[in-house]
Amino acid sequence: MRGGWLRAFLVVLGVAALFAIPRVTGNEYVLALGVSFATFSVLSGGLNLVYGYTGLLSFAQVGFFGIGGYTAALLVTEQDWSLWAGAAAGGVLAALVGLVIGYSSLRLSRHAFAIVSLSFALLCLIVALEWVSLTRGAMGIPGLPVPTLSLPGGLRWRLGRPADFYYLLLGFAVVAHAVIYLVVTSRLGRAMRAIKLNEPLAQSQGVNPLSYKLLAIALSALLAGIVGGLFVFYLTIVDPSIFDFYYTETMLIMVIIGGPGSFWGVLGSSAVLSALPDLLRFTTDLRMVLYGAVLIAAMLLFPGGVGGWLQRRRLARWRRPGAVAP
Amino acid sequence: MTVALLQVRGLTKRYLGLTAVDEVSYEVEAGTVVGLIGPNGSGKSTIVDCISGFQPADGGRWLLDGHELTGLSPHRIARAGMTRTFQTVRAYDELTLLDNLCVAAQEGDGVGWLQALGRGSRLRGVEKAAEARGRDLLTTVGLADYARAPAGILSYGQRKLLAIAAGMMARPRLVVLDEPVAGVNPTMIRRIEQVIHRLNAEGVTLIIVEHNVDFIMSLCRRVIVLEAGRKIADGPPALIRSDPRVLAAYLGQRGAAARGHGRR
Repeated sequence: MRGGWLRAFLVVLGVAALFAIPRVTGNEYVLALGVSFATFSVLSGGLNLVYGYTGLLSFAQVGFFGIGGYTAALLVTEQDWSLWAGAAAGGVLAALVGLVIGYSSLRLSRHAFAIVSLSFALLCLIVALEWVSLTRGAMGIPGLPVPTLSLPGGLRWRLGRPADFYYLLLGFAVVAHAVIYLVVTSRLGRAMRAIKLNEPLAQSQGVNPLSYKLLAIALSALLAGIVGGLFVFYLTIVDPSIFDFYYTETMLIMVIIGGPGSFWGVLGSSAVLSALPDLLRFTTDLRMVLYGAVLIAAMLLFPGGVGGWLQRRRLARWRRPGAVAP
Repeated sequence: MTVALLQVRGLTKRYLGLTAVDEVSYEVEAGTVVGLIGPNGSGKSTIVDCISGFQPADGGRWLLDGHELTGLSPHRIARAGMTRTFQTVRAYDELTLLDNLCVAAQEGDGVGWLQALGRGSRLRGVEKAAEARGRDLLTTVGLADYARAPAGILSYGQRKLLAIAAGMMARPRLVVLDEPVAGVNPTMIRRIEQVIHRLNAEGVTLIIVEHNVDFIMSLCRRVIVLEAGRKIADGPPALIRSDPRVLAAYLGQRGAAARGHGRR
């Protein structure tokens, strides 16, 4: 329990420090890194829930991200919805789409889901390019307006400065990670891990794998959709590049290096890997080479990710002679 | 005359024209330990897979305490009160032994998802009870010292014991143990035997599928023998041992003549 309090204290301290950054530096570059970290950490956290905890390899996250982005952008610009409502609608739509592709493919197998999720992400890109009357094709929807958010107590918050989007996305990331943490540390998370570790055993114990898988997919899609809706207003444009494979790749790397199924591992690797490409900027020629080298070194040192390394250490401790607990 | 706890009627399973299980019927009375034996390929495991919902049957019905289980999915059959263990021993290696057991109890306790997330007093009470039962079962199988250890550290035999404990966790009416002592050393076999006796004394009904005939003969008062997908004998061990069809099935005609009795 003492460890629990210490951890809670460190988390509060860390979040407070992140929120204090714009007061220390108005440097837009630092804030841009922060926005990128907040956004990617939500995407990779959701992927971790689906892949790391429930064992479903998914390429669909980027599709949910983009659906959220397009939905929010269209509802705000064409229907005069508020950003809150637009982003929420984007999240809900993404979750519904997630349920449809999950339900239809998971009745076959988890491999079918992986393939369908990949096809879905590619399909999203094609639809964004070709359904010109809705998405305006390759041009996308540029010039998204500076949103004004209504806050409780009648306050209105105009997101005019870079720091505003930093606060908004960081705030949402905190909420999203709190939700993910609540799920993975509850017995729902325990059942998800059981399904990943040994699905037939879980079934034989009364666990319905399909319902937990759909829960994981829907929740991760909801969070990815909302963060997509917020992120496009930071970019001030949504176009088909929001479905770029680059996002999928980055999310997967974050989860794999952090350790699938490790909440803190993936959060930590999201922070490091959001900053890494920019930390390596001192050498423009070798930047991506070094990035690759770091990834390879990480996989050699931590084949199961940082989380997997911690898990192995835990096993080793129990395997020592005389290691018997009360 | 009371209704048998498990009734299996005319169970049939075919694989591409090969009939693995052919119209097998049997009943299991509450409170008994029934053995299911037969040579390799006689259909024992197929029967277990079918009645536990892991393989669709091609014919027949089965009922637990009068409730139809035919065609239900595995998790529904487990929730209805019949659990099983696996021949290839299964455990959640990364979860602690206690979590291995608590997962097995969480689906039948009536606490919904939102309650599970809310962590209210109801959930805490239910989880505490599950943990207490888990510790009890771990004590029964002799693994209490490792309650907080990940299951990955256990030896093969210990994993078999853990699997039996997990099968008991949700207080099932009937447990099917699929080869509980295959590949287990003699000391551990005696241990598993004691555990089965104790659980049966607590009122659990068991079906034990085994290759190890001695183990079955000493443990069960009733044995069902299968050969080539058909039930060829059903009765107390003494009768089974001298049944000529069983001897022929197990030892071949020549072996039966040479040995003259059914001990391996």
